[in-house]
Amino acid sequence: MRYIVRVEVSLKPGHSDPEGETTREALLELNYPVDSVRVGKVYEILLEASSINDAQVKVEEMCRRLLANPVKDDYRYEIKEASNE
Amino acid sequence: MNKHLYIKKDLPFEIYEINILEADEKDLLKISKEMGLALNLEEMLTIRNYFLQKHRNPTDIELQTIGQTWSEHCYHKTFKGLIILPDGREIDSLFKTFIAKATRELNMPWCISVFEDNAGIIHFEGDYGIAVKVETHNHPSAIEPFGGAATGIGGVIRDVLGVWADPIACMDVLGFGPLDYDFSKLPPGIKHPRYIFRGVVDGIGSYGNNMGIPTVNGAIYFDESYVGNVVVYCGCVGLLPISRYVKNARAGDHLVLAGGRTGRDGIHGVTFASLELTEKSEEVSRPAVQIANPIEEEKLKRAIMAARDLGLASSITDLGGGGLSSAVGETAYKFKCGASLKLDNVPLKYSNMAPWEIYISESQERMLLTVPESNLDKVIRIFMNENVEATSIGKLTSDSVLKINYKGFPVAELDIPFLFSPPKFRRTAKFIKLKLKEPFFPEPKDLTKDLLEILSSPNVASKESVVRTYDHEVKGNTVLKPFCGRNNGPSDAAVIKPLDDSWRGIVISCGINPSYGKISAYWMAASAIDEAIRNNAAAGGRRVALLDNFVWGNPEKPDRLGSLVRACAACYRFSKGFRAPFISGKDSLYNESPLGPVTPTLLITAIGVVPDVRKTVSMDLKEAGNLIYIVGQTYAELGGSEYYRIKGFLGKSVPKVRLKEARRNIRAITRAIDRGYVRACHDLSEGGLAVAAAEMALASGYGLEIWLRNVPVADDLRRNDYILFSESNSRFLVEVPVKYKEAFESTVRGAHHALIGKVRGDGSFIIYGLNRDPVIHAGIEELIDSWKKPL
Amino acid sequence: MRREEIRVCIVRVGGTNCDAETKRSFEDLGVKAFVYHFNEVSQGIDLLDYHILVFPGGFAYGDYVRAGVIFAKNVMARMGKKIIRFVDEGKPILGICNGFQMLVESGLLPGINGVSEHPEAALATNIPIGYRCKWVYLRHENNGKCVFTRLIPKGRVLRIPISHAEGRFLLPRDREKEILNKLLENDQIVLRYCSENGEYAEGRYPDNPNGSFHDIAGICNPEGTVFGLMPHPERAYYGWQLPDWTRIGKPPRYGDGKMIFESVVQYVMRKF
Repeated sequence: MRYIVRVEVSLKPGHSDPEGETTREALLELNYPVDSVRVGKVYEILLEASSINDAQVKVEEMCRRLLANPVKDDYRYEIKEASNE
Repeated sequence: MNKHLYIKKDLPFEIYEINILEADEKDLLKISKEMGLALNLEEMLTIRNYFLQKHRNPTDIELQTIGQTWSEHCYHKTFKGLIILPDGREIDSLFKTFIAKATRELNMPWCISVFEDNAGIIHFEGDYGIAVKVETHNHPSAIEPFGGAATGIGGVIRDVLGVWADPIACMDVLGFGPLDYDFSKLPPGIKHPRYIFRGVVDGIGSYGNNMGIPTVNGAIYFDESYVGNVVVYCGCVGLLPISRYVKNARAGDHLVLAGGRTGRDGIHGVTFASLELTEKSEEVSRPAVQIANPIEEEKLKRAIMAARDLGLASSITDLGGGGLSSAVGETAYKFKCGASLKLDNVPLKYSNMAPWEIYISESQERMLLTVPESNLDKVIRIFMNENVEATSIGKLTSDSVLKINYKGFPVAELDIPFLFSPPKFRRTAKFIKLKLKEPFFPEPKDLTKDLLEILSSPNVASKESVVRTYDHEVKGNTVLKPFCGRNNGPSDAAVIKPLDDSWRGIVISCGINPSYGKISAYWMAASAIDEAIRNNAAAGGRRVALLDNFVWGNPEKPDRLGSLVRACAACYRFSKGFRAPFISGKDSLYNESPLGPVTPTLLITAIGVVPDVRKTVSMDLKEAGNLIYIVGQTYAELGGSEYYRIKGFLGKSVPKVRLKEARRNIRAITRAIDRGYVRACHDLSEGGLAVAAAEMALASGYGLEIWLRNVPVADDLRRNDYILFSESNSRFLVEVPVKYKEAFESTVRGAHHALIGKVRGDGSFIIYGLNRDPVIHAGIEELIDSWKKPL
Repeated sequence: MRREEIRVCIVRVGGTNCDAETKRSFEDLGVKAFVYHFNEVSQGIDLLDYHILVFPGGFAYGDYVRAGVIFAKNVMARMGKKIIRFVDEGKPILGICNGFQMLVESGLLPGINGVSEHPEAALATNIPIGYRCKWVYLRHENNGKCVFTRLIPKGRVLRIPISHAEGRFLLPRDREKEILNKLLENDQIVLRYCSENGEYAEGRYPDNPNGSFHDIAGICNPEGTVFGLMPHPERAYYGWQLPDWTRIGKPPRYGDGKMIFESVVQYVMRKF
C-alpha cells in the first residue's frame, strides 16, 4: 500500500523562533494585527508500507532519526492512503 | 493559436510546423509575438527567405533556436549593429569601434583571452591566469528578487567555469529604488524597493555562501530610476592554470551535458530580457525565472576541475541564456563544426516536455563539455563520483549543420553559418542637450550638519548590515576584506592571495557613478573608470584590466542610444589613456518601466595585481600624529554630487577626468605604497574630501584635523563647502608617518599634493576652513552614528 | 609518532566548501592531510589508517532539513561503527562550523554518555536572525581535557571569525542546567564567546553573535578527543588572514587558529 504522509516539524513551545518573530514584525509593518507567528517545516512523503500501522511506525522513526531534533523540535503527522494514480 | 499558422505534426510528441512560407508580414510579426521570439520584421523576413530556399516550413524548435540565438541577450545586436549619428556619420559596431579597439591598440602581453570566451583571462603568475566575468541579472531580479539574484551569481560563476577556471571570489553591485519609496506611488506590477532589496541581498548571499565562494567586493546604490528597474550586477573571479585552458574541440567529439536536470524553468528568459518590463511582466514572465541550486553547482565545479586537471575534455561552455540552443550552437560555430543531437538523451525533470522546450530551457547548473570518444567514460565517471549527472547528448560533426533528433524523428536541421549571421541592425542615435543649471546658494557657516547628513545618505552610509550576510572569508584567502579598522570602515578594494606558495595578490575594485549619468554619460563613464582604477591603486593594485557593464534604456529610442555612444567613446579614450584594457563586458539594455528608463549606469570593474600582499594598504588611520596628505587637485565639480543632492540640486559641473594628472597621481600613489611610506590610503569619491576624511577617521577611531587652506585647488575654488564636497576624480588621501615626510614628498613630486592635516589622538574630527576657523567639528562617535544608522 | 607520519582525513560531500583551507592548515604543520569525498571514505579507504578525522565547514547536502543532519545520518548509517572505533582508539575528530553541526546531529557531541542515538544539543537559527560573517572573541575555558586546545592557556582570549546562520547552541530547555553542570563537570566546554577583554558575553549581542546558550562556541566530548566549534580556525591560521594586520604594518606569521591545529598534532605525536 502507498500512503501519503504529511509531517509538520515546528519548534517546541518556549523556544525562541527568530524566523517567526521576524515574520511577525514584517506583518505588523504591513498593518496586520498579528500577535505571534511560529514557523515550521512541512514534509509531504509518499511511502510504501504494509498497513497504516506499519506506516506509522516508519514515520515515527523518520521523525526521530532525521526530520526533528528532539532538543528543539516537535513533530506531528497525518497519514492517508494514497489514491491509485 | 491561429490554425493556418501553426500546424501540429503527426508525431508521437508535441511539435508544430510554423507556416511561415504562407505568412504575410502581419502574420510574421504575430508569430514572433505569439511564440515569444522577440524578433522584428526584418529578422522574420530573413528567416522566411532562408526557409523559402529550403522549400519547407520551420518547426517550432527551429524557430525558437533562431530566436534565442539572435536575441539581444545572446547576440548583442545593439553593440554589433550599425548606428547612424545625427551628423550622418556611421558607427559600425560600438563594440569594435570603442571597447575592443582600446584593447587591441594597447595590445598588452598579459592579456590572454579577451572578449572571445565566457570570461576574460589575464596573466597572474607563472602558469596561472585570472579569469573574470561580470553579468547583469536585472529583469529576473525585478520579477523574483531572490531567485533572480541567486541565479545571477550562479550564472556568472558558470561563465568562469566555462573557461576552466576555479571560481575564487564574487563581486556584486546592486542598484535599488529608495527604500523609503512611497507605496502609493508604485505602479501596478512593480514591487517595492524594500521587498526587492531584501530578496536580492538574500539571493546573492545564499548562492555565494552555499558554494563557498567569498563575496569580497561590491557596492549598493540607490536611485529613483531603479524603482522600476532594479540593477543587479554579479561578478566572479577565477584562477586557472593557463596550460589547462583547452579549447580544441573537433568533429567526432561528444557533446556532454552535465549538471542539473532540464525542466521548464527559465523558458524564454532570453527573449524576455530583450523586452521592456510591463505591468503584465509578472504573470507572463513568472516561468521565465529560474530556480537556483548552489549545491548542484558546487558539485559540478568539483567535477569540472577534476576533468580539467586530467585534461580529458576538449572544450567547455556554460548553459546560460538560451540554454542548450546557444551552448550547442556557439560550440559548433566556434570550432567550425556541425552538431548532431539526440534530444531524448537530455535528462529531464519531468517527462512531458516538447522538444523546443527541452532545447531552450534555462534550467540552472548545467555545463556543456566536448569530450573525445576515448575519454567519454572517464569523464562521466568523474561526474558520477561527485553525484552529478553527465550524459552524451550527441556529437560534433564535420558538416556545419545542426541536426536534432527526438524519439527517432528529425525535428530540426539548420545551417550553423546562417544561425550566426542575423541581419545587422541599423539604428539612429540622437544627442540630447540637457538644460542643466549650476545652482547658487550661500555658503553655510557650519558644515558639520551637512557632513553628517551625507554620511547617513543611503549611497554613502555603511552597508555593513548587508555585507556581513555574505561570507567574505571562505577559502581563507581574503587579505584585504570589505571592512577595515576597529569600526569597519569601507575598504577601497579587496585583495585576494590565491596561491599558497606566492605572495602575489589580486586586487578587485569597482567604479560606478549613476548620478553623473544624469548630466553626462561621457563623464559618467570616464569617472567610473577613474574611480575603479584609483580604488585599485589605493590598496596597492596596478596593471589594471577593466570590465564594462552597461545598464541602459531601450536602444531603439535614439536618445538612449545617443548617450550609449557617448559612454562608449569615453570607454575607448580612458581605457587607452590609463593603459587599462577592457577584457570582458556585457550590456543589459531595455531597462525601462512604466516609471521611465533607468539612469544610464556603467559599472567598471577593475582587476589589478599587487606583487606582495603584505604591502597592501587599508583605509583606516593607523597612528596619532601621522601626517595627512592629499594627492590630486580639487576642482569646482559638484554636478551630481552628494552635496548638491542633499541641497536638492543636480547641477551641471560634473567631475571630469584629466588623464595626465590622473595618471601622475596614480603612479605617485603606487610608488609611495611600494616604498612603504603609506600607512593608510583612501580614494575620494561620493561626498569628496569631507567624506573620505571622515571615513578614514571613523574606521580607525582616531580623530583627524584637516586644513582646507592647504588643499590644492583650481583657481576659481574659494568656498569651504565646495572644496570639501567637490567630487573631482583622481584624488587620494594618504596617511604618512612624520619620519617619512621628506621621502614621501619627493616620491609624489610631480603630482599635485599637499600636507593638509594630521591624525589626532583625541577622537575629534575638525576641519579648519580657508580663514582658519573650524567649519566642521564633530566627535568620531557622532560620525559613526550617522554613518551606521540608515541601513 | 613523528609529525610526517600523521595522516589527516578530511571528509567532504556535496556542499562542503572549507576543505582546501583546512587541509592547508594541517599541511603547514608538516602532517599529511587528504581530502576525500564521503563516497570514498565509506567504501574505498580505511578510516582507521588515519589519525585525525575532520568534518570541515560548508553546507553539506545544502543543509536541507537542518544544518548538518543529512551528512550526520549518512555517516552514522554507513560507517557509524568505524567512527565509534576511531573514537574508542582515542583518535581525534574535529568539526568546524557545518562539521560541528554535523557532530551534534550525529550524537557524537556532546556525547555525555557516549554517542547518543538522538541529538542532545542543537545549533539553531541565530538570534538576531541572519547569516553573519565576522570576527569574534573567544575565551578558552577548558582545563586540559580537550586535545585540540592543550597548548592554549586557560582564560586566553582568541580571535577567530564565524560565518553562519545557524550557530545558536541549545540544550533541551527542561534539562539545561543539569546538562550544563554535567558539561562543566566533564570539562567539555572549550570556547565561549566573550568581549575583546575576555569578559563573558552573557548572551549579549554582538559579543555573543548568535544567541548561544551560556555563550558556548565550542565543546568537546567527555574524553576531549571530539571537538566541534562554530568559528573557523582555518581562517585565522596565518597572520595575513587577520582583519587588522594592516594596523601593525606587517602581518604576524600566524593567527590564533594555528594553536588548535598544533595542539591536536602534538597530541597525536605523543599518543601514537
